[in-house]
Amino acid sequence: MSILALILKEIHHRKINFALGLLAVVTAVTLFIGFFTAGKASNRETARLMLSMGYNMHIIAKNADMNQFLITGIADETMPEQYLTKLASQKRISYNHLLATLQKEISWRGLDVILTGLAPEVCPPGRKKPPMSFEIEPGSVYVGYRVAESLGLKQGDRVKIREKELTIFRCLAESGGADDIRIQCRLPDAQEILEVPGRISEIRAVDCLCFADANDLVTVLRKEIGSLLPEAQVFQAKAIAEARAGQRQMVRNLFAVIMPFTIIACGVWIGVLAIMNVRDRQQEIGIMRALGYGSGPITLLFLGKAALIGLLGAVVGFLLGTALALNFGPDVFKLTAEKMIKPEIFLLIVSLIFAPVFAAVSSFIPAMIAVVYDPAVTLREE
Amino acid sequence: MVVLKNVAKTYRTRRGEVHALSDVSLHIEKGEFIVLCGPSGSGKTTLLMTIAAMLRPTSGSVCIDESDLYGINIRERAKFRARNIGFVFQMFHLVPYLNIIENVLLAGRVFGQNPRADTAGDLLKQLGLAERAFHKPAELSAGEKQRTAVARALFNRPQIILADEPTGNLDPDNADSVLGHLSEFHRSGGTVIVATHGQTAERFADRVVYLRDGSIEKSG
Repeated sequence: MSILALILKEIHHRKINFALGLLAVVTAVTLFIGFFTAGKASNRETARLMLSMGYNMHIIAKNADMNQFLITGIADETMPEQYLTKLASQKRISYNHLLATLQKEISWRGLDVILTGLAPEVCPPGRKKPPMSFEIEPGSVYVGYRVAESLGLKQGDRVKIREKELTIFRCLAESGGADDIRIQCRLPDAQEILEVPGRISEIRAVDCLCFADANDLVTVLRKEIGSLLPEAQVFQAKAIAEARAGQRQMVRNLFAVIMPFTIIACGVWIGVLAIMNVRDRQQEIGIMRALGYGSGPITLLFLGKAALIGLLGAVVGFLLGTALALNFGPDVFKLTAEKMIKPEIFLLIVSLIFAPVFAAVSSFIPAMIAVVYDPAVTLREE
Repeated sequence: MVVLKNVAKTYRTRRGEVHALSDVSLHIEKGEFIVLCGPSGSGKTTLLMTIAAMLRPTSGSVCIDESDLYGINIRERAKFRARNIGFVFQMFHLVPYLNIIENVLLAGRVFGQNPRADTAGDLLKQLGLAERAFHKPAELSAGEKQRTAVARALFNRPQIILADEPTGNLDPDNADSVLGHLSEFHRSGGTVIVATHGQTAERFADRVVYLRDGSIEKSG
């Protein structure tokens, strides 16, 4: 009979002890999965919510009127489109999203509208991220609420902007901001309409940071970007950047406080159960010692059981944590849950590695107590 | 042959020292059936555990077949015990989650091999437990449990069986049955040492050693 068979038979015999141990691991893993998923979703949700506040780094043409830009949000000069790929391919500045736009206020069907051409969002190499803005098909437009309302436009309508024919992909809901008078299309379409091929008016960035150590990040970024994109000027929406960083830090802090506490509590719980198990099994340990079993098999009996509990707890905890996240996530993170909350296989792998180790470490002291039991004493006790 | 020379065992407790054994010397011949007799607290179990290589004496030596039990390391001692000594205890000490045949096989598993189930089956048959082979200890009577313990003690074909109050929890019929099986082992050349405060075992014994206050009062 193998040690594993002994462990399985003992588990079957002392089901409550096993179930309580399993519950401890499941609790720890479920909370880990839950917090991790919630933390990630929270970051994404914040980013999505802040999208309406704008990106936190703006790069516009050097000769653009900054005052005008700050008033209207539209740069009155353009710069080369290649600046986007240049910025994306350098290695001294990190970013999470880069978005090139071409914007211009135009008059269309008697309305003053903002025509915005969007290039596909650029993410760092190897880090595919869900886009923060629309992904527009060539020949399609998104029409702002007020424009659609004023002109009686609806989805599927064919419209002509200057000489370019486009199809309305969607009429947007009221935003209460400039988006209501915006017509958004793909960058090449906008370039064609505005007759500025290969030009953009702005690059927006999220979480744009320089790798160099510096207190004044904007100054350093200006210097770095200045040498890279000589026809550009840079400024940072500091409040947005700080708010985003602050929110992320808050989630990290929460994770850092609650997870160790939970893990310690569950570890103690497993340890106490293991001690109770060892006490229950004193006579069994004594007779095994008397029969000639050494410390190795006795230790394996207890640590093996703990590892088995950890393994099973990892699977159950992962399933439970994921199920909870999938079930309750959409109620909490209304904007992004559908895309962001999904089963994370790497979390299952992490759980399968760490939960058995965690359970075994928690049971280590009880296992050592079992090993040092004096069989002469335990077998004499009646 | 088991030889104890000037064996003493002192337990240190909060209330001071307890001399469980004092200057015990004893020669037990191979194939002898010895009964260690004496009232509770006389040192019978301590002496048995010392012979069993499970309790290091405070002083003196214990040799079995000229091998000094406490002169070898703990791992070697455990191996020696597994190969040469079988145990029977008053409280049976069967593993509750294993069935009867698995409890017997547990003794064989210690060598890291898969012990032969048919050997265990034969033993159970000899001890009248064939039909109980797949029962759990909780489903057995006291006599059946003790016979299972005897089967486990016999499984590795030991030289010596040490029995601590093996009939203490049994009715006279079952006590006779268990002692009969020990006697059979003795007749086949094995050494049996039984510690008891009763007199049931004495009629099977070649020699009775009387203990009192940790010393041999008389032997004969």
